[in-house]
Amino acid sequence: MLKPSSRPHWATKSLSADTKTPPEGEIEMGNSKHLGLWLLAPAGVFVFLFFLAPVILTGVFGFTNMSTATGITGGAYMISDTSMRPLRSRYGENELADRLTQKVYTIDDAGLKAALEAGGDAAAIAELGDKFLDQSFDRRRGVETAIKSLSARPSTTRGIKIISAQFERSVVNVRFDSKEDLLVAISDFGIALNEGQTEALGQVAYTGWTFTTQNFKTMIELPDTSKTLINTLFYVFTTLILFNTGFALVLSITTHYMPAGPAGFFRSIWLLPRVTPPVLYVLMWKWLAWDTGFLSVVLEPMGFAPRNWMLDSPANAWTFIILINGIVGASMGMLIFSSAIKAIPQSLFHASEVDGANRGQQVWHIILPQLRWPILFITIYQTLSLLTSFEYILLATDGGPGGATEVWALSTYLKALSNYGGALQYGYGAALSLVLVIIGISVSLIYLKLFDFKNLTAPPKIE
Amino acid sequence: MRILLDKFTKSFGSLTIIDEMDLEIHDGEMIALLGGSGCGKSTTLFSICGIHKVNGGRILFGDRDVTNVTSQERNVGVVFQSFALYPHMTVEQNIGFPLKLRKETKPEIKRKVDEIAAMVHIEELLQRRPGELSGGQQQRVALARALIRRPDVLLLDEPLANLDATLRLEMRSEIRRIQQETGITAVLVTHDQVEAMSMCDRIAIMDKGQIVQITEPRDMYDNPVSDFVAGFLGSPPIAFVKGRISGGKFVEPSTATKIPLGAKIAKANDGREVKIGIRPEYFQPGSGTMISGKISFIESQGRETLYNVTLPDGTILRSIQSRRSPSKIGDEVEWGINADQILVFDQDGVRI
Repeated sequence: MLKPSSRPHWATKSLSADTKTPPEGEIEMGNSKHLGLWLLAPAGVFVFLFFLAPVILTGVFGFTNMSTATGITGGAYMISDTSMRPLRSRYGENELADRLTQKVYTIDDAGLKAALEAGGDAAAIAELGDKFLDQSFDRRRGVETAIKSLSARPSTTRGIKIISAQFERSVVNVRFDSKEDLLVAISDFGIALNEGQTEALGQVAYTGWTFTTQNFKTMIELPDTSKTLINTLFYVFTTLILFNTGFALVLSITTHYMPAGPAGFFRSIWLLPRVTPPVLYVLMWKWLAWDTGFLSVVLEPMGFAPRNWMLDSPANAWTFIILINGIVGASMGMLIFSSAIKAIPQSLFHASEVDGANRGQQVWHIILPQLRWPILFITIYQTLSLLTSFEYILLATDGGPGGATEVWALSTYLKALSNYGGALQYGYGAALSLVLVIIGISVSLIYLKLFDFKNLTAPPKIE
Repeated sequence: MRILLDKFTKSFGSLTIIDEMDLEIHDGEMIALLGGSGCGKSTTLFSICGIHKVNGGRILFGDRDVTNVTSQERNVGVVFQSFALYPHMTVEQNIGFPLKLRKETKPEIKRKVDEIAAMVHIEELLQRRPGELSGGQQQRVALARALIRRPDVLLLDEPLANLDATLRLEMRSEIRRIQQETGITAVLVTHDQVEAMSMCDRIAIMDKGQIVQITEPRDMYDNPVSDFVAGFLGSPPIAFVKGRISGGKFVEPSTATKIPLGAKIAKANDGREVKIGIRPEYFQPGSGTMISGKISFIESQGRETLYNVTLPDGTILRSIQSRRSPSKIGDEVEWGINADQILVFDQDGVRI
C-alpha cells in the first residue's frame, strides 16, 4: 500500500483534479467520524482507569512483596528487630546485629543542649561538658556515675536522671530516607562496616517493597494453595453443572412444554432470587440454617439436635454454598435457554413428532443440539463469574468452617484486602489473582475447543 | 391405505374451524385439499398426522381408529412447507432419523437411506447439511425423510410454496412420480389450483371448513357445483355475467344480448335472475353468440394473450386467444360466446 507521502506526484494531481467539492452530506460524515471518537473518549478514560490500569497494576504487583508493612510507596531504611533477624539468619552477622541494636551513651553537644532544655541543672551540665565531652558509656549507669562525680552534681536522683536520659544514642527504630543516611548514622554511632556488611545491611534494613518472584514460590510451597484450588474447582464445576447450566436447562425445557401462563409464572419465580439484594438473600439462608433457625426448629422434634446447619460440617457448608449460588445462577441460563428454544422453528418440533420422537428424544435430538451456542455462552460466562465472584461465600460462611469453603477469589480477597491481623499482603494477593486470570482464560480456551467454536460460528456455505 | 375422516371436527378455543367434515381418501390415491388461506385445509392435514388433537368425530387409517393415537404412533410421513429439516444433522442423518428413533440397526438404516436417496436422486448429497442445499434439494430430502419408514399416508403441506417457478414445475412432476412409484396414499394441501389439478387424482375443494366439492380435476373444472368452485379453478379465471332467463335464453341486460341455453335449464328456470360463468377459452372472435364490448386490458402471456372486455354496465368478460389479434385497448370488439359451454348459477351461486 502506498503511504500518502510516497504517492507519485501525478497521482496526487489527478486525484485533486477529479475530486470536486464533495456534497455537504459527505463533509458531515467525515466530521462525525471524529465526533464519534470524541464521544467515546470519556468511555476510553474510564475503561483505562477502572479496567486496564488495575489489570496492569495487578500484574505488576504480583511480582512485588508489597504489604501493609512495606507500604505501597517507596520505603525507608531502618534497623529493627525485624530487619536484624535476616541479618543473623541469612548473613550470619550475629555480632554486627548485636552491636547495631545496642544502646550507647555518649556525652556530646547535642545531648548537653537537650539536657538544658529538659530542665537539667545548668552548672552540672556545663561541668559534665568540660570533663567528659566525647566520652561513651555502654550503660546509663556509667553516665550517672560520671554525673555523680561532678562537683556541681544535682542534689536529687531525679535531677541526675533528667540529665542522663539525654545521652542515650541508638540507631534502632530510626527511619532513614536513604541508604547513605543510614550508613552515615551507623558510622557516627561508631561502627565500621566492611563491604559485605554494607551490602547486607542495605538489603535487610530496607522497609519498602521490592520486585520478587517469592509470591509464586510461596504459593507453590503452601499446602493451603492446593486445597483452595481444589475447593475452587469443586465449587465452580459443581455449581455450574448442577445449577447454572443443568438446572437452567431443566427449567427452560420443562417450561417450554408447559402452557404459556404457568410457564411464565414459573420463570418469574425463579428470577426472584436474582432481584433480591445479595445480603438479604444470604441472611435468609442464614436464618434457615441457624441453631435457632427454621431447620433446627423443624428437625428438633425428629431427634436432630439444634445446630448451625450451615457451618456444622464442610459437607453441609458446601451444600449451602452451592444451593445459594446455584439458585441465583440458574435464572440467567433459564432466560437465555428459554429464548433460544423459542427461536427453534415450530415445524421442527412437528416434524420430529411425526418422525416418532417422544419428548425425551425431542429434547435430546432437537433441542439440545440447537442450544449448543447458548450452552457454550452460559458455560463460559458462568465459569468466569463463579471463578471471580465470592460475595455469597463471604456473606454465608466466610470460607468456613476452618477454611473448608475458602475458594481462590475469597482467599485472594482475604490475603490482600481483609486480614484479621491487619497485615494485608497486596503483592501476594495480586499474584493470586493473576493466577486466577490465567485459570479463567485457559478454561475459556478449553471450552471453545470442546464446543468446536470455529464450526459453530462458521457462516453457511450457501444461502 | 384408505384414510377416512368421519364427522371430523376441529376447533381452537371457541372458534370452530372444521365442523363435522367427512372425507374418504382411497388407497394409493393422491388427493388435493384445495382452498384459500383460512379454509381449514392445513388444520385437516395436521389433524390427520396427529399434531392437532381432534375435537369430535373419528379418523381411520384402514380399519384402525387413530383418533386418539399420538402422531408418534400414527406412521405418517409429512413434508412441511418450510421442509423442517434438522439443521444440525447431515442429509443422511435427517433421512434416517425416523428409523433411528425406532432403534433400527445402523446397517439397516444405511441401506434404506441409500435406497430412498436413489429414488429421490440425492445420493451425492448425503454428507451435506441442510444449510448447504438448494431449495429443491431440501425438498427432496424432506420427501425422502417422510417416505423412509413407508408411512400409511404421505402428507404434503404446501410443499412447493417455498420454491421458485422452474423448480416448482420440476418438483410437481417429481412428487407425482415418487407417489406413483411407491403407490402411497397422499394428501396434498395447496392453495394453487394448478398444482392440485396437475398432481392429484382427485381434488377436495374447501371453503370455511367444509368440503364444497370432491371429484377428479377435469370433472371439477367442467362441472363445478358452485360459482366458488368455478371461480377457484382455471387461470385466467372464469367471468361471471348477471342476467335473466327469458324465453329459453339468457338475456344480458346492458347489451340485450340473448344467449341460448339448454332446453331443460331454460324451461325450469324461466324468468329467474341468474348469473352465468364464461371461461376465457369459450369467448373467442368469429363464432358463437356475439356480444360487443370495449377492450379494457391486454396481457401477453407469450404463447397466449389475455383480453379483458368490458360490457357497458362494467361487467368484465375474459378471452384467452392463442393468436394475437390486432385489437388495442379501447377498441370496440364483437366476439362470440360458446353457448354450449356456459355454466349457469342461481343468485346464491349454486349451479343450476
